[in-house]
Amino acid sequence: MSTGTVTVRRRLHPLASLSQIQSTPSAQDGVPHSIEEDLRAYGCKLIHQAGILLNQFVSSSSQFVTPHILGDRKQVAVATAQIILQRFFYVSSLKQFSVADVGMGALFLSSKLEECPVRMRDLINVYDLLLQRAAHTVASTSFAHPPPEFKYTPMSYFGNTFYDLREALVVSEMQILKRLGFDVQVVLPYGTLVNYMRLLGLTSRNEAMSMAWGYLNDATLIQWLNRLQTSVYALYAVPTVVSAAILLTTRQLGIALPSDPTNCWWELFDVEWEDLWSVCGYVMRLYRERTTDERVEIMGLLTKRDFRQWLENKK
Amino acid sequence: MNYIQLEKLGEGTYATVYKGRSRTTNEIVALKEIHLDAEEGTPSTAIREISLMKELKHINIVRLYDVIHTETKLVLIFEYCERDLKKYMDAHGDRGALDPNTVRSFMYQLLMGTAFCHENRVLHRDLKPQNLLINRKGELKLGDFGLARAFGVPVNTFSNEVVTLWYRAPDVLLGSRTYSTSIDVWSCGCIFAEMISGVPLFRGRDNPDQLLHIMRIIGTPDERTLRKMVAESPEIQIKQWPRYPKIPFQQVLPKASPQAIDLLERLLQFDPAKRITAAEALQHPYFTSAGFGTNSSGALPTPYPPAQQATVIPPPAPAQYNYPHPSQPGVVYANPQITQIPQPQQPQPQQPPNGFGQYPAGYAHAPGR
Repeated sequence: MSTGTVTVRRRLHPLASLSQIQSTPSAQDGVPHSIEEDLRAYGCKLIHQAGILLNQFVSSSSQFVTPHILGDRKQVAVATAQIILQRFFYVSSLKQFSVADVGMGALFLSSKLEECPVRMRDLINVYDLLLQRAAHTVASTSFAHPPPEFKYTPMSYFGNTFYDLREALVVSEMQILKRLGFDVQVVLPYGTLVNYMRLLGLTSRNEAMSMAWGYLNDATLIQWLNRLQTSVYALYAVPTVVSAAILLTTRQLGIALPSDPTNCWWELFDVEWEDLWSVCGYVMRLYRERTTDERVEIMGLLTKRDFRQWLENKK
Repeated sequence: MNYIQLEKLGEGTYATVYKGRSRTTNEIVALKEIHLDAEEGTPSTAIREISLMKELKHINIVRLYDVIHTETKLVLIFEYCERDLKKYMDAHGDRGALDPNTVRSFMYQLLMGTAFCHENRVLHRDLKPQNLLINRKGELKLGDFGLARAFGVPVNTFSNEVVTLWYRAPDVLLGSRTYSTSIDVWSCGCIFAEMISGVPLFRGRDNPDQLLHIMRIIGTPDERTLRKMVAESPEIQIKQWPRYPKIPFQQVLPKASPQAIDLLERLLQFDPAKRITAAEALQHPYFTSAGFGTNSSGALPTPYPPAQQATVIPPPAPAQYNYPHPSQPGVVYANPQITQIPQPQQPQPQQPPNGFGQYPAGYAHAPGR
């Protein structure tokens, strides 16, 4: 990174190294790969849900900013937070940090970076609700007589919940900054997608544009359960990820682009075929349907205590 | 800590700056100490400053050497500079006005640093004399990146509350959120004029007043320009303004050379799309042409003031932020149109316009304060 003229995008968008990918800190602690992948994804999903819930607080936050503009920035903040969470677990283990805490810290941090700061109180309330809901889902599937329908219990006025969550939030924000060495600038790929599509003359086809956008979303933003967030953004540079979205789209719609060995469209964007192909693999893997048991297992691992207990029992 | 803390250099709501010395190398540094608040976590200004500055390594940008992160505080270790441009102008200028060679050298370095930021997709967003630091060698460095941000390919909707009022670009004053590198260029233009005359060029009280100050000099833009700006940034709010004619900069800044005036003209364009870029400005004849103020060795400009000038820096004058008030006799104004100026009680507008609270005026004040 320190050698002279490194391109900007790389500078501000650090990628995980090969050794970090092959053996993540969690893997070193004995966490199975599939569980890690799903837990990361669930952490990202929580961020996404928190982002949606937080949008309801927008109107009161600033007299200078109209709500829809803040809403846009909040979407960017959500995507940024998800990428920060993915990066974080390439340098830290799930045994040390829960995805819920890190997700909360990442969203707090990214909202500052994207200039739409959320109030700590709002964020904590939202995460409290999400965690209660996950706990309820776990409880209702693991007992023969499920408890009644989920009802949110607001934290008690004099209880410790707020202070515990605030402590967790401040600590996780600090840990993210510390462990990522303040490398928290994120380059989102949407602008690049538009440019590439324009360059390839694909903008005239609306379906192609929206499909590519969708693939890109699936690689970054989380949809419900069977379309989980991938860690693609922490592993590959933006042009590779964007090219993968274009490749999947053109294949699915049967649009021909120059792909002869001497004349390949992805070379235009300095993308290697091997990288391109493996990103496509990551994205396609999202679409594997998870069983109910698999989903519930993940939801039961959101706190550090539960996770450590699970890891202990597994041994 | 690996640094010995020496005297305090300045204080703001978000940070305290000390002079420091490295235990290992004895090098003098500036220590910017930020207290971490349990209510707010790490201040966003600190996050931006660190994440951007650690990658920006350039002779005209203050170097961030290290960051010390503890439970209760964050200490940023910066390259030490003797003073900021404001203080330099007070100490060396003729009523704040610098001589043409120094102006040109500083302007060149300012644009070099700015161009480097822009090349690396970083907007500074708070360029002003207090944030430009000058070291003993006469090198000018951009500092205080607390308001800076990285920008990507798409034009984003940024915060509108950036850039200290007097150096704020008209498009930002009109409410633009899709601004880009051109806002830093505007600030460079304001600083350029201020170095030539010794007084800030546009000194408004508040947002609308600032806009009027600008229009009184560069003229009210015509309908077509305004319509074009609205088309490009729809969030801009247009009002009815008095129709001021343009005053030639030569009249405002009688001391400036024709080439300096031409450059200033290009930097201070009302329409952001027409503003010159920092990289283009470096190619301007003001810097490249032979003739005016070139050094003895050749036609290219000296990037820094001549060596003798650099080493012999007289003892610092006490900090002066007092702009002469119209009631004082013998004051010549950069802006002849101003008849009434609010009593300047503070160097900055009283309400910090960027909404982040008062900053330390610069973390490399004169030694011995």
